[in-house]
Amino acid sequence: MPELRFRNLTLGYERHPAVHHLDGTVENGALLAIVGPNGAGKSTLFKGIMGEIKPLAGAVERDGFDTRDVAYLPQAAEIDRSFPISVYDMVAMGLWRSRGPFGGFSRKDHAGIEAAIGAVGLTGFEERVIGSLSGGQMQRMLFARLLLQDARVIVLDEPFTAIDAKTSADLLGLVEDWHRERRTVLAALHDIDLVKASFPETMLLAREPVAWGATATVLTPENLNKARRMCEAFDEYAEACAVAAE
Amino acid sequence: MVGEPAVMTRRRLLAAAAAAALLAAPASARAAPARKLKAVATISVLGDLVKNVGGDQVDVTTLVGPNADAHIFSPTPGDARMVAAADIVFVNGLGLEGWMTRLIVASGTKAPTVVVTKGIAARKVDEGGAQRRAEIDPHAWQSVANVKIYVANIRDGLAAVDPAHQAIYDANAQAYLGKLDELEREVKAAIAGIPAGRRKIITNHAAFGYFGDAYGVEFIAPEGVSTDAEPSAKDIASIIAQIRRQKIPAVFLENITDPRLIREIARETGAAIGGALYSDALSEPGGPAGTYIAMMRHNVHEMTKALG
Amino acid sequence: MLYATLIAPFAEFEFMRRALVGILALALGAPPVGVFLMLRRMSLIGDAMAHAILPGAAIGFLIAGLSLFAMAGAGLIAGFLIAIGAGLIARATQLKEDASLAAFFLISLALGVTIVSVKGSNIDLLHFLFGSVLAIDDPALALIAGVTSVSLVVLALIWRPLVLECVDPGYLHSVSRAGGPAHIAFLALVVMNLVGGFQALGTLLAVGVMILPAVIARFWARDISAIIGTAIACGAISGYAGLLLSYHANLPSGPAIILVAGALYAISVMFGPVGGLIWHALRRRHLEA
Repeated sequence: MPELRFRNLTLGYERHPAVHHLDGTVENGALLAIVGPNGAGKSTLFKGIMGEIKPLAGAVERDGFDTRDVAYLPQAAEIDRSFPISVYDMVAMGLWRSRGPFGGFSRKDHAGIEAAIGAVGLTGFEERVIGSLSGGQMQRMLFARLLLQDARVIVLDEPFTAIDAKTSADLLGLVEDWHRERRTVLAALHDIDLVKASFPETMLLAREPVAWGATATVLTPENLNKARRMCEAFDEYAEACAVAAE
Repeated sequence: MVGEPAVMTRRRLLAAAAAAALLAAPASARAAPARKLKAVATISVLGDLVKNVGGDQVDVTTLVGPNADAHIFSPTPGDARMVAAADIVFVNGLGLEGWMTRLIVASGTKAPTVVVTKGIAARKVDEGGAQRRAEIDPHAWQSVANVKIYVANIRDGLAAVDPAHQAIYDANAQAYLGKLDELEREVKAAIAGIPAGRRKIITNHAAFGYFGDAYGVEFIAPEGVSTDAEPSAKDIASIIAQIRRQKIPAVFLENITDPRLIREIARETGAAIGGALYSDALSEPGGPAGTYIAMMRHNVHEMTKALG
Repeated sequence: MLYATLIAPFAEFEFMRRALVGILALALGAPPVGVFLMLRRMSLIGDAMAHAILPGAAIGFLIAGLSLFAMAGAGLIAGFLIAIGAGLIARATQLKEDASLAAFFLISLALGVTIVSVKGSNIDLLHFLFGSVLAIDDPALALIAGVTSVSLVVLALIWRPLVLECVDPGYLHSVSRAGGPAHIAFLALVVMNLVGGFQALGTLLAVGVMILPAVIARFWARDISAIIGTAIACGAISGYAGLLLSYHANLPSGPAIILVAGALYAISVMFGPVGGLIWHALRRRHLEA
């Protein structure tokens, strides 16, 4: 059973499509990179997968898991950095799905939290308030939280943008660990070289799917040119889409 | 005018008619007004007094109604219209109606204002000990003797705008003064019936100063005269200490401000809570203090009941 | 000598003891709510709420006359409707919390004044409704104690979703549907603490003890639990010292308590270890790492 299936999916805002007629499946344990120019619809696609927006046409089918079981890292997390919370407590929130809003943390849970913090290289930062973290440290912290979520499906929107190379490399290691653990990982990325090096499967999206399959066959110069040529702005005078909706 | 052209005659007649009308107008203004006099009184106590002196000749409206608080009253446009249409306006003065000057100006009324406390010896508010504020106490009507002066001022005021009915006003005033004499005797007798050591009252509205001075009852209050003043812990502690020290038997509520403070003090000292005393305003017409005389009788009755 | 200054007033007078209990109860329940209000940039809600409950009080007055119970109860319902209505609209539209609340409270205040004028009475309803710390009777004490207990229990229950909703609402939304209900429950707590506080202790204290300790604590602690603990302590100290000030220096009690809190605030702004102005100006040696 595929993990995710897109059926003639169109997602957008106020009737303008940001993702246009996407069809296809994501298999269990896939490690899929989603690549495309600005405005290609990558973030929109993730919002659709998470159920944050309803499709304008078509559907997203999930194989028996709830959106709440997905570990989602949005592009610009609306985190209030002035809030007085420690790294430890923030990471601990990753146990939400297993402990719920009221559950206490066992000794094992605390060990798990510390392990997650260690895995992202933030040992020693437990009591720091989040406002004192750099961009890279913040991203590590969020990855630690993702680790604790222990989710079957992990969705990452531009996880390595604007952070230093060492952090990127470390966190990429964690992504590869997830892949080995047979979790399904989707990641929107800008760095073509990184994708070619580490991601076996790629979807090239430029509002409409340009190509989807093995990375080598997808990321060809012709495909990349085609994607670049797609119009970025919404067309205010567009006609209603002629292709029949499902 | 024989031989004049008809047009000239007509003109002269018209001129004569106009002159006659002009002459007649002021005379008619000075003649007795065919309708009743419209009087506006600020507070219900005054309203009652004006009704008694004016009788059938006067239509009285009161701005601050029964059970309401003149200290924090806020006039409405309807009030301004009433004042504008009035023939005469009665105010207490002594700082009671801070809002009245503005209302009179805003309404543009031509009516004269009678300050009924003219001629009264005003007293200051004392704050149970140190004189923190040297405010004038406006509640002069709590002494019957003062109200006799009120009545005289009201009678003179009415006679000034309506001289045609002066005799009626004199007669009404005379009759009412007689009732006031009787009331005064009653009050004095009632107070005399209370043992001397027990003539002390705690109430949360320092409005009975004139009553206290006139009839020999000591009033002690936790708050200032106006209802917005907030007490300090020391004020309340002093009152409780005083009640304990002087063994003051009763605590009285009154019909305007928050009674929780009084109940608190009564509970802590074991003093009795007397019935409601009416200080600033009359009750509704059918209630226990619907007129001035009824109000005084009610208050004295409640006091003697608790202290006697 | 110390006894006479610090303890004697409370030993000698019952009203002082009741005032102390009342203010301590408020200092336990209100500051935690205030800390969250401050962190969510809703610190001015207290003042808005004091005016917004007027139509409720007015309707209570129309139904039952000058009954404290009717007016306070109706005021509470009005407060809930406004806070929750404003909250729901803020979540559902692009309007932020402060704008939504401002719209509601202005309309509500106008409605209240209209209702009161139509009835024709000049009694200042709100003046009647609001209590005073020196005149707390048994019902008021029970009210404030009850409100504090419920408040602490509910806060403990909604702690995690509430914190997460403040710091990372996106994440909360992705893992749970508890965000909305937790937010509504929080608003209900705010209204309850405010209206209960108004009724027992008056507006100045109800709002002041909710917000000032929170603001003070921000300068002394970095973690939210520590901030809440510090806020409660500040509230209690202000209450105790304020009552003593009112007693010894003959000042009105509500303002005295708030002025003590104000003095603590001034000290904190200057010398508080977390962001205090003077503290920062002193160049201390930096740490190893």
